[in-house]
Amino acid sequence: MKNRLRVLRAERDWSQAELAERLSVSRQTVNAIENERYDPSLPLAFAIARIFALRIEDIFTPEVEAPGVEPPMDLTSRT
Amino acid sequence: MAPDTLRSRLFRSGAFWFAVSILGSLAGVWLSVRTLVRYSNPPSGGYWFVLAGLALIFLAGYAAWRLARAGTYSWLLPLAAINLVLLQPGRAGDVRTWRLEWGVMGLVWTLAAVLVFALLLRRSDELERRLHLEGAFYGLAFGLVASVVYALFENRLPELRGQWVAVVLLLAWWLGYLVTARRYRWQS
Repeated sequence: MKNRLRVLRAERDWSQAELAERLSVSRQTVNAIENERYDPSLPLAFAIARIFALRIEDIFTPEVEAPGVEPPMDLTSRT
Repeated sequence: MAPDTLRSRLFRSGAFWFAVSILGSLAGVWLSVRTLVRYSNPPSGGYWFVLAGLALIFLAGYAAWRLARAGTYSWLLPLAAINLVLLQPGRAGDVRTWRLEWGVMGLVWTLAAVLVFALLLRRSDELERRLHLEGAFYGLAFGLVASVVYALFENRLPELRGQWVAVVLLLAWWLGYLVTARRYRWQS
């Protein structure tokens, strides 16, 4: 799973330890997620999204879409 | 940010308190046992040796508590393995009269240690729990293979004792944890 955690964290000038404290996890967990070695659980992904005031899919992107699953429709854009 | 010196890394990773606990256990048990086995004819200053031994064992316990408090739970696995070898809970040794009492006391301490470790794991974060889950799997898998290999050479190998099995399983769990942690780029 790809993610933008490092970029989002850098934008806010937070250290890994600071983000870890906000999420109530260890710094190593934040490090593992940033390095895309570990995919967080759904509750943790929601917590990350809430902290950055974004949606989960704005932070995490699957490397390969599940077969038969259409990409999400963007309901906000109107032509 | 403070520079990441060797000293600070030793403290942060738990290696320092692990070393203190190991040395405290080794020296404390050695001093206590050496004096207590000659309780009918104690060497001069024998009581001081026992007191010093008990103090060192207390220090080892304090170091283990510091490890748990810092969240560096993985060090508790090799610590438990080494203490199993040193203390051999459940075995009365030469103290035949108190065999049952020694055995029950060892069992109570062991159950308490397992319960505390389980509570600590519940308090840890999700990646730490996952590392321990995978580590424990590798440990059990190794134990399974090792038991079959032992059965192959049973006639030529010394008799297997239950506590050695526990020690090997604990160490295999810890090694499995380290391998898994490395895979997830765990940097303690």
